[in-house]
Amino acid sequence: MPQVDRLQDSFLTRSQEEPALSGNGDKLALIVDQNGKPSVQLRDLRNGKVLPLRHLVRHQPHSSPSLSWNGRYLAVIVQRGNRRMVVIEDSLNGRIHQLPLPGERIPIRLSLSPDAAQLAVQVTDRGRWRIQLFDLSEKIEPDRSMGSLRSIDLPALGK
Amino acid sequence: MKLNFSIKTSFYSFYLISLIFLGGCSNSQMRSLYGLNSLFSQPSISYREPSLGLKFLATIVNDNGQEKIKLFDLRGKRSVALPGINRFDAQPISVSISANGARLALIRQRVDQTELLLYRRNLGTLQRLEISPKGIPRRVSIDASGKILAVQVSREGRWYIDVIRLQS
Repeated sequence: MPQVDRLQDSFLTRSQEEPALSGNGDKLALIVDQNGKPSVQLRDLRNGKVLPLRHLVRHQPHSSPSLSWNGRYLAVIVQRGNRRMVVIEDSLNGRIHQLPLPGERIPIRLSLSPDAAQLAVQVTDRGRWRIQLFDLSEKIEPDRSMGSLRSIDLPALGK
Repeated sequence: MKLNFSIKTSFYSFYLISLIFLGGCSNSQMRSLYGLNSLFSQPSISYREPSLGLKFLATIVNDNGQEKIKLFDLRGKRSVALPGINRFDAQPISVSISANGARLALIRQRVDQTELLLYRRNLGTLQRLEISPKGIPRRVSIDASGKILAVQVSREGRWYIDVIRLQS
């Protein structure tokens, strides 16, 4: 029988949407309604606390959060002026990476790989949804859990 | 000479101010992985809800009106079969993959039910996960190990997030 926890919120009427777990399962990013603005929130699941975000407190509406392995990187779609844009906040050094898409395509959903080496973005292209993959290895350093990587890597390789 | 010094001072002042303001922010285009993107560029197919593992990408595709979950091996640049995961009478809504691609969590609608399921790729099995208290799942995220799920659930007109910890 699986153990089920419901995420607590001090605002009982506040909606909780778009969950995204960190690779190690310790952190959860989600979208909550803050004064009518869908805003990303980061939680520590070990103690339920809301973790501070340095940059992601404006440019709402936010959507489609995604976390790296240890939750160091939080990728999310934000609104900058009249553009939807992908940004990644680095909780280790406080930097924000703004990632405009080639051809000014509009990001709809995204997924960060656990090691933060790649980003998959769902975009609209001539009336269809497409997925575009991007290499982040030259922009940000990896977020790996070497112990976990070794133990879970083996079955995928068929060893 | 004096003018030259003034220009230099202005330049260095501007440079220093720029560094202070832009130090916490970078803004440049990402490098597109064109070789891999050709995997998702069939003109008649629509791709949505991407979920990245370390070497795999799971997505929901719409191929001539039929929606199904597909898995791509990013190293081998090929699609990978998922026997038993798709049904002709079910519509996938959300999918999420573990880091090594061994497990996929998914939500699908079948007849008048919306189900949360766990697919184990090495066994080819699909396990239905109960939502308690009852609710309608909308979106799912799975952790790297494939043993923790966060699920967006509708109950009495409000969205909640349940965290489900599997024992195996």
